[in-house]
Amino acid sequence: MSSALHDRLAAALRDARGPDGGFGPRAGQAAEAEPTAVAALALDDPAGRGWLADHQHRDGRFTVVPGPVESTSATALAALALDPGPARDRALAVLPRLRARRAAADRLVPHDTATRGWGWTPTTFGWVEPTAWAVLALRRLRPAAPEIADGLRVLADRECVGGGWNYGNRVVYGEALAPFVQTTAAAVLALQGAQPDLLARGRRILLERAIDEQGGLSLALTLAALRLTGGEPPAELEDALAARFAATAFLGDVAATAWAALATGPGLERLRVGGEP
Amino acid sequence: MSTPTGPGDHEESATPGMDRRTFLLRTAEVGLGVAAAGLVGARLLQHPARPWDRSAFPPVGRSRVAVLRATSYDRDLEAVVADGLRQVGADVRGKTVLLKPNLVEFDPLTAINTDPRLVAAAVVAFRRLGAASVSVGEGPGHRRDTEYVVSRSGLLDALRAVEAPFVDLNTAPLVRRPLQSRFTDLRELWLPDVVVRSDVVVSMPKMKTHHWGGVTLSLKNCFGCVPGRVYGWPKNVLHWAGLEQSIVDVAAAVRPDIAIVDGIVGMDGNGPISGERKNAGLLVFGTDPVATDATAAQAMGVDPERVGYLTEAGRFLGQVHLDELTQAGEDPGRVAVPFRLLPEFAHLRAGTTASAPPARSGKGSGA
Repeated sequence: MSSALHDRLAAALRDARGPDGGFGPRAGQAAEAEPTAVAALALDDPAGRGWLADHQHRDGRFTVVPGPVESTSATALAALALDPGPARDRALAVLPRLRARRAAADRLVPHDTATRGWGWTPTTFGWVEPTAWAVLALRRLRPAAPEIADGLRVLADRECVGGGWNYGNRVVYGEALAPFVQTTAAAVLALQGAQPDLLARGRRILLERAIDEQGGLSLALTLAALRLTGGEPPAELEDALAARFAATAFLGDVAATAWAALATGPGLERLRVGGEP
Repeated sequence: MSTPTGPGDHEESATPGMDRRTFLLRTAEVGLGVAAAGLVGARLLQHPARPWDRSAFPPVGRSRVAVLRATSYDRDLEAVVADGLRQVGADVRGKTVLLKPNLVEFDPLTAINTDPRLVAAAVVAFRRLGAASVSVGEGPGHRRDTEYVVSRSGLLDALRAVEAPFVDLNTAPLVRRPLQSRFTDLRELWLPDVVVRSDVVVSMPKMKTHHWGGVTLSLKNCFGCVPGRVYGWPKNVLHWAGLEQSIVDVAAAVRPDIAIVDGIVGMDGNGPISGERKNAGLLVFGTDPVATDATAAQAMGVDPERVGYLTEAGRFLGQVHLDELTQAGEDPGRVAVPFRLLPEFAHLRAGTTASAPPARSGKGSGA
């Protein structure tokens, strides 16, 4: 692990902090829960955690914007970022209530209709990335939560033919969908120490595909997932991450920068299932 | 403190739809009821009323479109684009222009995305026509890692070559827009401020079939303006609200001023992701996105008035009737290259008598 790369990423991340202590999707924008949560994890940052606590809904959820469509998917990441205490407890308590709808039976998009998982909003059915974050938060901080089993079942049901995960579907219109690196890495993070066959196939997909991704977010999540599930990943992945950051600064995506800082630094332990909560 | 997360620098617009772009207003009036009259395409929406704010949409009139041959992405594309824009009377002098290509996903073996060479050529063409500035924005629907899509697709390099900025619409600052049409129950959308504030929004879709909507063109391309961090990846909230209804409401909120359809190489079959490359050798231009899509559909061998969302959009957003279009360049009926349709969409084929199957939502997908 390169501390020099982590230091560069962490410095860029600190530069993106808003005046209220939170982090926006891009530097200079108003803070939002997701980039703030990942940045707080990466930097072990009291100001970021303070912003989260100040912007939590009374019932514990976090949203992006007000209105009839509420994206609540940052709630799980915020729970992981918050210190032990009432704010974190509220976030964890609301997670089960934010679960998605069951998918209707559809021969064109076959799913296990008994499962729910989590969506970006509670008004659709579950998708891989929000389900992965909720499962990760509950497994790390509320390991006895009964909803974990449903989340793991969603991840198993949505696994692509041959391993890994697309955004949420395995087959559409008879076509097997290819796995994406970013969503596969999220699922692998959620599966730490569980379902070894699924995990192994997901890790293999990451090792085969990540180097060609040319995206900082995908590479960062891959590094995080591989490090927490099987030791030090190939050096070329971190080299590729450094090269992308030098070339594009991840297009200014603060969440991607935060994930990269998290994946290359000591904050990653805050995502370890079975670690100190 | 327990304060709901507010919109921060996201603005709430007090005058929806009235703060930009008046040069597109159509003047000739036709009967609003004509477009939906008894056609197969109306089956999915079936709104007997007029679920839109009539004061926000001028009457639909005659529209001008242009179909130009272009068999290669490497041959004089800037001149072809400039010619097409001139033929449809696009006036962008002194205006800020946002190009919105379709980059939903990347697969080197097929043709999912608007070709980056066409996007770069359009940047140059709009500058030649006097645009004050030209930027390019997209919020990929399938990939959260926008950097991956714009890098692997070649768009980032293409834009660097013409020194044009790229805006990730999934992370851009947002503006709250009450909807002026109500085909869905969404009531409002949060849209990137660059979409709302640009004088001219140019929808640049790929000419593709779509396994939930039949065809995907400049109206459906507006889904890429809807931010993933609010509506998720793959923006599936829009499918749950009703795919075709969402296409109409989102397009009516974005209101593209110009459309340029990339039909040099399109996609047929199981589009918009898993279909096959289809060489059509055409670019379709218009200042009315409904008319442009209707013409592109005709060039794909599809009867536009059988496409449900096009028919409904034709009631208030633009002209869907081919006989109400002034078509410059190639005759789309003569140069039509039939795109392969999934069996569920066989009824869209021009000249057939097949009836439509029951409506499907596509809730399970995002593409």
